[in-house]
Amino acid sequence: MTQDMLLTMVSGVPWTIALTAVALLIGVVLGIPLCAMRMSKLVVLRMVANTLILTLRAIPPIVWLFFIFFGLDTGYVSLNPFQAAAIGLGLITAANMAEIYRGAMSAIHSGQSEASMALGLSTYHRFFDVLGPQLFRVALPSAASYAIGLLKDSAIASTIGVHEIAFEASHVSQRTFRGLDVYAVAGLLYILLSLPIAWASRWADLHLRARVAR
Amino acid sequence: MSLNSSSITQADVAPKQPLLRLDAVGKTFGTHVVLEDIDLSLAAGEVVAIIGPSGSGKSTLLRCINQLEPPTTGRVTIGDTTIEAGHTPTRRELMVLRRSIGMVFQSFNLFPHLTVLRNVSLAQERVMGRTREQADAVSMQLLARVGLADKAQQFPSRCSGGQQQRIAIARALALDPQIMLFDEPTSALDPELGLEVLSVMRELAEGGMTMIVVTHEMRFAENVSDRVIIMADGRIVEQGPSGTVMRNPQTERAQRFLHAVKDR
Repeated sequence: MTQDMLLTMVSGVPWTIALTAVALLIGVVLGIPLCAMRMSKLVVLRMVANTLILTLRAIPPIVWLFFIFFGLDTGYVSLNPFQAAAIGLGLITAANMAEIYRGAMSAIHSGQSEASMALGLSTYHRFFDVLGPQLFRVALPSAASYAIGLLKDSAIASTIGVHEIAFEASHVSQRTFRGLDVYAVAGLLYILLSLPIAWASRWADLHLRARVAR
Repeated sequence: MSLNSSSITQADVAPKQPLLRLDAVGKTFGTHVVLEDIDLSLAAGEVVAIIGPSGSGKSTLLRCINQLEPPTTGRVTIGDTTIEAGHTPTRRELMVLRRSIGMVFQSFNLFPHLTVLRNVSLAQERVMGRTREQADAVSMQLLARVGLADKAQQFPSRCSGGQQQRIAIARALALDPQIMLFDEPTSALDPELGLEVLSVMRELAEGGMTMIVVTHEMRFAENVSDRVIIMADGRIVEQGPSGTVMRNPQTERAQRFLHAVKDR
C-alpha cells in the first residue's frame, strides 16, 4: 500500500461524511412533519404518510438512487451525483426517522401531554417545550444507530459516481489490481468514522438520562 | 386580570351566581356509559369533594370539566364561556377554560426535562405572556408557599413524590386559576407524603380557593370540604354538606360505600 493509494482513499472521507450528514439532516427535519402526519387525526394525512413511509422503506436504496439520478434527470432537473444521493438517502432517512419519532412519542407518558393541555399550552408549545425535548432524548439511541447504518449505506452512492470512500477504494483497487489491503483500509476508515458517533451518542445519553428519569 | 379575578373570587359574587356549572353532562366511550346526566354548580370559594368507588366516573367528570375528555352530552359553563357537547370548542374557548381552571393529577406529570422553577414558570410565559423574570418571581413565591423554594434549581426526579405533587400544585396556581381540580392527588403517595400534600390543599381551601377534589381521603372530604358528592356507576348518588353526607347518608348506595371505607 503506497502513500498515494492511501491518500486517494482518504480523499473519499470528506464525501462520505458530507453525504451522511446532509442525508441525516434532511431526514431528521423532514421526519418531523412526516411523523406528525402519520399520527394525525385526519385519515387522509395518515394514509398519505403511511404510503410515503412504506414506499420509501420498501424500495432498496440503490434503486432509489438510480431512479433519482438517472430517472429524474430528464432535462428539467439536473442533479449531480452528490445531490441525487443526498436527496435519495435523505428521503429514506426521513421515513425511518418518522418511525423512530413515533416510537419515541409512544414512550412518553400521556400525562405529559395532558398536563400541557391543562396548563393551556398551545399545540406548538406543547410540542416544542414539553414533548420535543423529551422525544429527542428518547429517540437519540435509535437515531444514532440509524446514523451509523446510514454512514455505511452511503457507500452505495459510489454506484452513481459520488467520490466517497467506497468509490475511491474500488477505483484504487481496479488501478492496482489489489483487493485485500485496499478494501481492508476502506473498512477501517468506516470503523474510524463510526466510533465517534457511537461515543457521542453514549455520552449524550448518559448526560441527558438524569433529566428524563421519572 | 389576575388581581380582578382573585378579588372577585373572594366575596363579591353572590352565592347564587355559580362560578362553574355543568348541565346534564354525560360521557360514553363507544357503548360504555362512564358518566350520565351530571348536574353540578360550584360557587366561588366552595370546596367540593367527590368520593365513590373506583370506576364510578369521578376522574372522568373532572377531565370533562376542563375538556381533557370532551363530554358527549350536556354543557360546561365557566364565567360567560359555555362549551356545548358535540361542538368542538374554539381555541379561544379552550384557552379561557383552561386558564381559569388549574389541574393537579394523580401522577404529578411534572416536566422531567425542566427544573422545578421552569416547570412552574413555563406556562406563565407561554400562556400569560409574562417575561421570564416576572414568571420566575411568581414561581419563587409559589414554591415558597408550598415549602419548596430550596428545590427551585433541582430536576423533578430529585424530589420525593410529595414534593413533586406540591410543585405540581404550585405550577397550576401560577396561572391564577379561579378553580382548582385535584384528581386523586394523594393516591400515588404513601400516607406520610400524602399528608404534606393535604396540608397544602387545606391551606388553599382556607385561603378561599374554589376547589373540586376527587379523593379517597375520607377525613379530608369530611373536614376540609364544604360539600361532598358521592358518585357510583357514572351518576351522582348523593350530595350535600360534608358533615351531613359523611355522617348521615340517605341513599342505600352511599351508605354502602361509606360503610366500606369508614375506617380510612
